Amino acid sequence: MVELRNVTKRYGAHLAVRDVTLSVAEGEVLGLLGPNGSGKTTLLRMLTGAHTPTSGQLTVAGFDSVRQPLEARRRVGYVPESHPLYDHMRVREMLSFMAALRGVERGAIRGAVGEVAESLSVDDVLETPVRHLSRGYRQRVAIAQALVHRPSVLVLDEPTNGLDPRQIIETRNLIRGLAGRCTVIMSSHILSEIARTVDRVAILLRGGLLTVRSMAETPDLEALFLSLA
Amino acid sequence: MSALGVLLKKELHATFTSPVAWAVGGVFLLVAGYTFSLSLFMTKVANLTYVFHQLYILLVLLVPVITMRSFAEERKAGTLELLLTAPVREISVVLAKYLSSLALVLVLLVASTSYAAVLALHGDPDLGPIAGGYLALLLLASLLVGVGTLWSSITENQVVAASASLGTFLMLWFADSVAYILPEPIDLFFVNLSLLGHFAPFVSGSVFLSDAGYYLTGTLLALFLTTRALADR
Repeated sequence: MVELRNVTKRYGAHLAVRDVTLSVAEGEVLGLLGPNGSGKTTLLRMLTGAHTPTSGQLTVAGFDSVRQPLEARRRVGYVPESHPLYDHMRVREMLSFMAALRGVERGAIRGAVGEVAESLSVDDVLETPVRHLSRGYRQRVAIAQALVHRPSVLVLDEPTNGLDPRQIIETRNLIRGLAGRCTVIMSSHILSEIARTVDRVAILLRGGLLTVRSMAETPDLEALFLSLA
Repeated sequence: MSALGVLLKKELHATFTSPVAWAVGGVFLLVAGYTFSLSLFMTKVANLTYVFHQLYILLVLLVPVITMRSFAEERKAGTLELLLTAPVREISVVLAKYLSSLALVLVLLVASTSYAAVLALHGDPDLGPIAGGYLALLLLASLLVGVGTLWSSITENQVVAASASLGTFLMLWFADSVAYILPEPIDLFFVNLSLLGHFAPFVSGSVFLSDAGYYLTGTLLALFLTTRALADR
């Protein structure tokens, strides 16, 4: 579903991501683990089309992110770390706007919004202005806007950052619930969250990919991380 | 609806419901009405030459306030990332922001045509210079909004965007003054950069293609650079 071949990203003299080769299967949940500044967010931004690789090739569902950027972006839903939303809109407006922007047919928007709102339990706040949402609702609406067009790939940047324990468990269950239906790529620097949520983990350090391991074969992620980093 | 249509609808709503739009609109109409009344009662001449020059100054001062939020606000809130990861071309995002800001200026200019209507009702004004003046204001607005949008796309700080826009407008306004200290043929280049130099002929009823070309070329250049600024990531 997602293929990266020798992907490198430079910002001037700074090498943010270095020669990463990785593939993610359909329906898989992959975690990007690494300390701050390891290149996780840059890698996610390239996956979403927000940034383009300096060199290498990145494809989403077979579409090249540089040569066919619109087709690649159409298949991705993205939840940035800060959960940015349009505060002046109501939740329904926000979700409808994102659905229309991501190419959902006009006649299908209402149904798509209702469906995603129900699946994320935000249907009771559809008429609430976004600026009045609690942190937990805000996060769920941020995920809803990323899923409203039924993407093949969902990208989440530090999805549990700043959430309380109950919200963390809900988010984890939500991501696990998407496994099999949608490819999920999430970043985190919290070892326990990665261990409990993903099928495979990719460990990054200083922009480079150190290893990719299946969680089933990694009983002690902490020991693995310490041995590599 | 096309992506541009979806974005334009959102931008128009955001622009016209923003308190900044109402504040700018209020100031614009208040100052323009004051200028019109003053010039009419003092000169008792049925033309809008003086009003057009006042509107020129008002646009130079107020357009930075209108355009400062277009990209800077979204960049700061993080919502620009949502737009740039959606399957839409950068030019659609730029055009939606540009057209919504220009629409606000157009509404203000349309409201100011009531002065021309008053002159037509109570006098016999020469309509040529009035039509030329409004064409000049339209072209001027298109360039100023373009440059303001460009500055807003470069920074996430609205005050920096507004200050940089105002600085650029003032530099362009007085570009011909620099020509006095420059050798030929460079001086000619700066004379032709003048914002006011291309505006004044319209107001006197002389419409030159070169003057219109100046504003249109500047607008297209600003929109191109804004699109490049967004695409270069």
